[in-house]
Amino acid sequence: MSEHLAKVIAAIIDGDADAAEESAQTALAAGLDPLQILNEGLMRGADDVGKRFESGEYFLPELMLAGRALKAAMDIVKPALLEKYAGADSQVKGTVVAATVQTDIHDIGKNIVASMLTAAGFEVVDMGVDVPIKSIIDKAEELGAQVIALSALLTTSMPFIKDLIELLKARGLREKYIVLVGGASVTEEWAKGIGADGTARNAAEAVKLARELIGA
Amino acid sequence: MLNYLEVLDRANSGPYLSEENWDLEKVAMTARRLVKKYKVEYDPNEVVTSDPAIADAIYQAGYEMAVELGAYSRSTERIIQFSQDEIDQGIRDMPQTLVMGEGKDARTLRARRLDDDLPPLFFGGSPGTPIPERYFLPNVISYMQEPLIDLATCGTLTEVDGREVRTGNPIEIVSTRRELQYMRQGLKRAGRPGMGMLAAQSSVSELGDLAVAHPDYLRPCDSHLVPVLNELKMDHRNISRAVNSLEYGMINASLPCVIVGGLGGGPVGSAIINVASYLIANLTCLADYHILHPIHVRHVATSTREVLWVISATGQAFARNAPAIIVADIYPKSGAGTKELLYETAANAIVNAVTGSHLEGCGSADGNLPHCSGLEARWMAECALASHKMKMTLKEANEWALKLLPKYEHVFTQDGNPGLPFDQVYDLQTIQPKDFWLEMYEEVKTELKDMGLKV
Repeated sequence: MSEHLAKVIAAIIDGDADAAEESAQTALAAGLDPLQILNEGLMRGADDVGKRFESGEYFLPELMLAGRALKAAMDIVKPALLEKYAGADSQVKGTVVAATVQTDIHDIGKNIVASMLTAAGFEVVDMGVDVPIKSIIDKAEELGAQVIALSALLTTSMPFIKDLIELLKARGLREKYIVLVGGASVTEEWAKGIGADGTARNAAEAVKLARELIGA
Repeated sequence: MLNYLEVLDRANSGPYLSEENWDLEKVAMTARRLVKKYKVEYDPNEVVTSDPAIADAIYQAGYEMAVELGAYSRSTERIIQFSQDEIDQGIRDMPQTLVMGEGKDARTLRARRLDDDLPPLFFGGSPGTPIPERYFLPNVISYMQEPLIDLATCGTLTEVDGREVRTGNPIEIVSTRRELQYMRQGLKRAGRPGMGMLAAQSSVSELGDLAVAHPDYLRPCDSHLVPVLNELKMDHRNISRAVNSLEYGMINASLPCVIVGGLGGGPVGSAIINVASYLIANLTCLADYHILHPIHVRHVATSTREVLWVISATGQAFARNAPAIIVADIYPKSGAGTKELLYETAANAIVNAVTGSHLEGCGSADGNLPHCSGLEARWMAECALASHKMKMTLKEANEWALKLLPKYEHVFTQDGNPGLPFDQVYDLQTIQPKDFWLEMYEEVKTELKDMGLKV
């Protein structure tokens, strides 16, 4: 592996946004293909971070910092990608609108999944917590998202996930979106029962599921 | 004491900061720096540290964090800053005794010290666990009728009259009032009408909580939860709970559920955040007592090595430096009808009791399923009282934890261990444990007796 790519990977693993930006710039200046920087540098670093989190070596801050570093490097690499490859936007695996649904303010699980999806190459728009279901749908429409990822820890907030799916149906939009659901009390049976496209027990499985469903 | 309206003013006028920057640049970075500064390390084989310097360092670091950061208002995206004097005053004002309940059933919670002559008190119930309405009443009675249980808590009603409960919806008012009706009815049937409660668990938004501040429901001698959001955050909805208690007089229990493996990183940073959370909760939640309930980022349970470390370090930090009334939740991974639940409960109960906490439990099966019963609360109290009777030292408590951990740690690597719902482990008519569950309990009790625990 080139020294330049090793530096890109290390910057992502260290969650160092400045180093990520600098190493991406240096790699481009050295003539590396932006697609190679993306796939063999940034994505490899992100994969490594995901594995470290799953194994318990990394915690949430490391995951969030890696997300920041990834974003900083992507800001450098993306224009080069666009210049070299027509339709380079297709390098992004898909756009995800993520939110903890209205009345629920728990965000750790959603943050972890959002960070892991970002690290896996999805464009994630995290709307935060306690988000009205109508706003989530409106945001997905505005962005032309492919995936709506919903979280609810509280059993008494879970019905709002069901409401969102019903609202998608009522607005004739259900087929446009992959709806992923998650939360401590969410089971596969419940997800299936409300008509969601899937759920996962942890962030790594959520990424796998999103990849499978979107065909990325 | 700081006027509470001043806290509201600061939430409206404090320095603006985005929530992401609060999380990363304030909380996570400060935790990281303090972990390095105080040079404390987590040892998975010493889940109960016997080194007083560690407990003191955790306290000092948490104090430093509280003074430096203050709290964050999620509603206004502003920092609620406190001066060092205000934090200190909050510490001085922490109640050292607190009467809960009334009449002959009243109990006095005390700020416990290490090696305290006074045994811990016990809250019985599966706090916040979703429980179907059809057996909510027998479920709460199963705890209230246990002679060792001093105070009552309960699960959450997720449906009333067959209707799904939704947070913030008018039905939350109905469900929280219904919960309190069952609780009061349960106390009467258990012959302990004056028993104090930690209730309104069905109130997820402020709606239900406000709706039960009435002597027919939650009495002034009872307590309710005022959560601290992860990490060191408040919002107007939760501040409303504290404000509502100002004149009515309900007892405020602060509830920070620090995520172990979250913004604080590992157990050391998480314990520091837990200490800081209590110090800001003195002011933002008007806390009369504090719930100790760290959550493992992957396994949830309080019985993991990492969470046991946080519980014991936080408990010791306060017992040594600023005694406070701390009530530790026991949330085992396993559910009713399993031996692992009893081992997890024993480990948690011993660690909590020896490190200065009162106990509450059990939120069996991670508090996610109605797989809970009064029998494990009896067991929680028996194990804690045994450790107290034996005058167990910190070192011995650690040895017990290390003996018990291998008996249940496999549940964290398998797909949970949910056990059985309440109606399959208890007879709903007699409200007594079914034979197989009682036999399992007796078997584990004998096993631990043979190992030397004086239960």
